[in-house]
Amino acid sequence: MGEEIKGDFEPKIVGFTCNWCTYAAADLAGTSRKKYPPNSRIIRLMCTARLDPMFVLKALLNGADGVFFSGCHPGECHYIKGNFYGRRRIAALRTILQQFGLDDRFKSYWISASEGEKFANTMKAQSEEIKKLGPTPLRGKIL
Amino acid sequence: MKGAELNSDDLEGALKGLLDKGVVDCLVMPHRAGKAVSYMLVKDADKIESPASVIFAPSFTVNAANLIKGWTIKEKVGIVAKPCEIRAAIELIKLKQMDKESVLLITVDCAGTYTNQVYTEHYADIGDEVDSAKIKELDGKGITIRESCAICENKLAAVGDIIIAKGAGGNVTVAGLTAMGEEALSALELSLEDKDLERAAEKEKIAAEAKAKLDTLPQMGSVEALEEFLQDCIVCKNCRDMCPVCYCKECFFELPLGKPTGGDLLNLAELRGAIGLPPGQLFYHMTRVYHVSTTCVGCGACEDACPKDIPLTRFYPVITKKVQDIFEYVPGKDVEEPLPFTAYEEDELEDKLR
Repeated sequence: MGEEIKGDFEPKIVGFTCNWCTYAAADLAGTSRKKYPPNSRIIRLMCTARLDPMFVLKALLNGADGVFFSGCHPGECHYIKGNFYGRRRIAALRTILQQFGLDDRFKSYWISASEGEKFANTMKAQSEEIKKLGPTPLRGKIL
Repeated sequence: MKGAELNSDDLEGALKGLLDKGVVDCLVMPHRAGKAVSYMLVKDADKIESPASVIFAPSFTVNAANLIKGWTIKEKVGIVAKPCEIRAAIELIKLKQMDKESVLLITVDCAGTYTNQVYTEHYADIGDEVDSAKIKELDGKGITIRESCAICENKLAAVGDIIIAKGAGGNVTVAGLTAMGEEALSALELSLEDKDLERAAEKEKIAAEAKAKLDTLPQMGSVEALEEFLQDCIVCKNCRDMCPVCYCKECFFELPLGKPTGGDLLNLAELRGAIGLPPGQLFYHMTRVYHVSTTCVGCGACEDACPKDIPLTRFYPVITKKVQDIFEYVPGKDVEEPLPFTAYEEDELEDKLR
């Protein structure tokens, strides 16, 4: 804890994905044998709108090096408009995280069920980015 | 808008008339207790004494909207309060915490307020009301207005059903902004004429001064700064209780998951090596700032309520303003405007996501 060298550590990333798209995309990436770093722990939600920003805050404060969310492309929500509401919440949360320099550790994507390749590539790029940022300043802290 | 110019006696008559003529069933308005000013709930018009000397008093005790939050009664409640308090009431109407038809919102002009302690202590210097020149003069003597007032852009009465604007020579102008407000004024049998209370130039000047002051406040910028800022927090949650727009019946931080004790805390400590006590300072405040992010009216009641004197104005109003800016939303400006989290546009905010 805290003594890892920047750029040379395995980040812990918590991911929240929508059941109807990105979760299926992750499945597709798996069945089509796409390789991507295994440092994300994915939690399945039923919709973008289910992402309570508290989930993200709690993950970050408990020492996740990165948190990502991924849902259906706007306009393609399984529940018609869940991701429109979710998008506003994510934007508000990101604005708050920006004030403390934590917004780089929170990623949000739109990945549909057919985009297995995009999911694998996104995970690769994300892993690199978080590695570059180094371990989260919150992990070693007594909070 | 239709309105009338009143002297202090007429104003007293008008407020009494609201009760006597049955326009409202009760009134929530300030009253004086010695040098101090606090709110009262009036049923009997005779209890209203020289209101002109008290409704403009630059003292902030509690946000009046918080006092009537969740009153789901059929009786009509009139509230005489400052713009931030009425704006909070309007947000509460939108949040369905009170009924639009059962409140008559009466907004008075404000120039900035002192904490009730400072006001009572320096009553001899401050007096019954202040203007911007007087505030500057007192500032020189070390009597300063609350920080949340210094960064407030909406000091002039411009929301609610009725506004009471300060005029020349101790007179006030009372005007109706909504149909309900105008009806109330006509019931009082005042001779109404067209009034122009836009005061655009004055509003612009106040907003510019407030913005300039906001820029001088220290920025948090990092987790370390936030940690230090909240180090003294005892998680008493008084800021939540005094916040007019924090309205959940059952707060997450009163539930076992949000308020871990005993074995739960030990598990957390084992997971992380050590945890801070009392637990959840950052989690509590960061969650709360998100919860009030679109509805915070910046009244500063949280800072006044903090027993540890944490300058919460530099946290809540400052951060929520940035969120409100991305939605171009001013809380309490318009009762018909939907809350940002209950509305959406199909094509928006993509630049705010990454």
